Amino acid sequence: MRRRRGRRWVRLLRAAASHAVLILAVVFALFPIYFIVITSFSTIPIASITAQVLIPKVGQLTFASYRAALYTQSPAFTALLENSLIFAGSAAAIGMGLAAFTGFALSKFNFPGRRAFVYFILIISLFPSFLLIIPYYFMFAKLDLIDTYPGLIIPYSAGAVVFSGILVKNYMDSIPDDIEEAALIDGLSRTGAFFRVLIPLCTPVLGLAAFLAFVGPYTDYALAHVFITSSAKETLALNLYAIATGDTGEQNYGVVTAFALVMSLPIVAFYIAFQRYIIGGLTLGGVRG
Amino acid sequence: MTGLRLEHVTKKFKEFTAVNDVSFEVKDGEFVVVLGASGSGKSTILRLIAGLEVQTSGHVYIGDMEVDDYEPRDRNIAMVFQSYALYPHLTAYNNIAFALRVRRVPRDDDPDRYRRRTREEIDERVRHAAELLGITDTLEKKPAALSGGQRQRVALARAIVRDPEAFLLDEPLSNLDAKIRSSARIELKRLHDQLKQTFVFVTHDQSEAMTLADRLVIVDHGRLLQYDTPERVLRDPASQFVASFVGSPDMVFLEGAVESRAGAASFVLGPVRIPVRGETAPGPVTLGIRPWDVSIGPENAPGGIPAVVRGVERLGSSDQLYLELTAPGAAPAPGVSVRAMGRAYENQVGDSVSVSIDPDHALFFDKDGARVHSLETAPPA
Repeated sequence: MRRRRGRRWVRLLRAAASHAVLILAVVFALFPIYFIVITSFSTIPIASITAQVLIPKVGQLTFASYRAALYTQSPAFTALLENSLIFAGSAAAIGMGLAAFTGFALSKFNFPGRRAFVYFILIISLFPSFLLIIPYYFMFAKLDLIDTYPGLIIPYSAGAVVFSGILVKNYMDSIPDDIEEAALIDGLSRTGAFFRVLIPLCTPVLGLAAFLAFVGPYTDYALAHVFITSSAKETLALNLYAIATGDTGEQNYGVVTAFALVMSLPIVAFYIAFQRYIIGGLTLGGVRG
Repeated sequence: MTGLRLEHVTKKFKEFTAVNDVSFEVKDGEFVVVLGASGSGKSTILRLIAGLEVQTSGHVYIGDMEVDDYEPRDRNIAMVFQSYALYPHLTAYNNIAFALRVRRVPRDDDPDRYRRRTREEIDERVRHAAELLGITDTLEKKPAALSGGQRQRVALARAIVRDPEAFLLDEPLSNLDAKIRSSARIELKRLHDQLKQTFVFVTHDQSEAMTLADRLVIVDHGRLLQYDTPERVLRDPASQFVASFVGSPDMVFLEGAVESRAGAASFVLGPVRIPVRGETAPGPVTLGIRPWDVSIGPENAPGGIPAVVRGVERLGSSDQLYLELTAPGAAPAPGVSVRAMGRAYENQVGDSVSVSIDPDHALFFDKDGARVHSLETAPPA
């Protein structure tokens, strides 16, 4: 009896310790977001954020920062959003499409040097993308693509393919060749089998690829900062930086945080839409086991 | 509905020869089973017929048409995979309907032009196939929600719905539980009798092969060893390998030599002598005999070889006995044992009995496993 009770003590202590650590980690993860939220609703208009109280009173909340972020900025928030969605949306669509073909080729076709090519792509994906900005700039300047939509969509899509292509390849590796062969016997060409059988089976990973290809360009500052020169093509991320550094006038953390929160909504929406794919997603149930 | 034919087909994967100069013909409506151990090349033979692999040399014919350069989709054959390979994202209904939706059919008014099948046509055929296999209730489920037996039926339905030239089945029963496997076997045979179409069925299970086959193709290391009816393969195997591969319980092999004395040949194994009929050349041979051709008599029965019962295995209808041969009036020949069919209640372990081997059914193999002489058995009716 006594020994058993002793063991239970140890178990309880262990559980308490692990919960304490986890709770601490959650606090560290969530506190910045909480702080941004309360700052965005705060009535304190000053640059200094040290005056922020951690538990604001209901009467002290205001939408003033949101009004300022959405309606009084120049260029208009909607114009910025439109640009960001064009860049990120195009990159997501093109990047996902190319990743699907890349993954198919790398997974289901045997060609000389395939392994080497896979390693090559993996190594490229480890290459810091900042280093590419300068050669990209020279290339795109020669092609007259600076300050154009394709000028950013091309490098964004290319960047997405590098990582997502491998992602799709690994996923397709898990789809047995039998299933593709069954489609060939059922009367499809390899292209037909790709579109009608493999692509539908790959929706979860293609959703993930699209999500990653969207978030990167949507939040990109470095490349956009170099490539975008006119305010007509300015993106949300560029403007957020301008507000945060006070380039557009008074440095107001309420407006910065409100802007950032509204800007993050499309990502949240995209994530929720994509998550449904994964949860309700497909299991390879036709396969043995 | 047509037969098919392989002509000197060889398939090499780099240095490895998976299929080595295999030729055989499957008649229209015949159920042919390709039997071999794993790695014998039996599945490759099926994939070559399907067009999923292309042979290194030789020709494949479906009907009278050489299809060497045809894509799988142009060969109009159906295949059931060992894994069933159902499309996981589609319901059972859509799995079965898939090929009907993909393939176009000649138009009634102009056979040179093609059209898609109508929804009603597809529905009728899917329902008919589902009825035939008793899966009408599961059509709306996805493969993940189906049991192994149901998946296997959906895979079969997917094949028969198309009305193909021939059916290729790659171990479709091997993933089923032992219990449903034997009933699925009978059902498959019934399906073949109903459809009267050409079936090529690959398996490593010899009892499955024996039950299903009109004719058996026995392969090993990519070579065709024998192509014949199950009865003839059983009674007249081409080699020791075939003899040991088919038949249950296993054939008994005794190593010894044939000696000729005063015109009468006998098989000599240590102190044991077994009379041999027929023309058997003297020399070292292996005698092969089916356990059911070994009969057990009372001790000291005339013409019998003394033996001691060393083990009894109860199989049900009859039991398998393990017997150790003892020479007449001499010490037991160590390690020489035979299996026989008998009754467990008549023979207990330790009993002394006598064994006789039916010389009409004894087979002889040389040291390479080749048959020394052919049995003159009448071809089965």
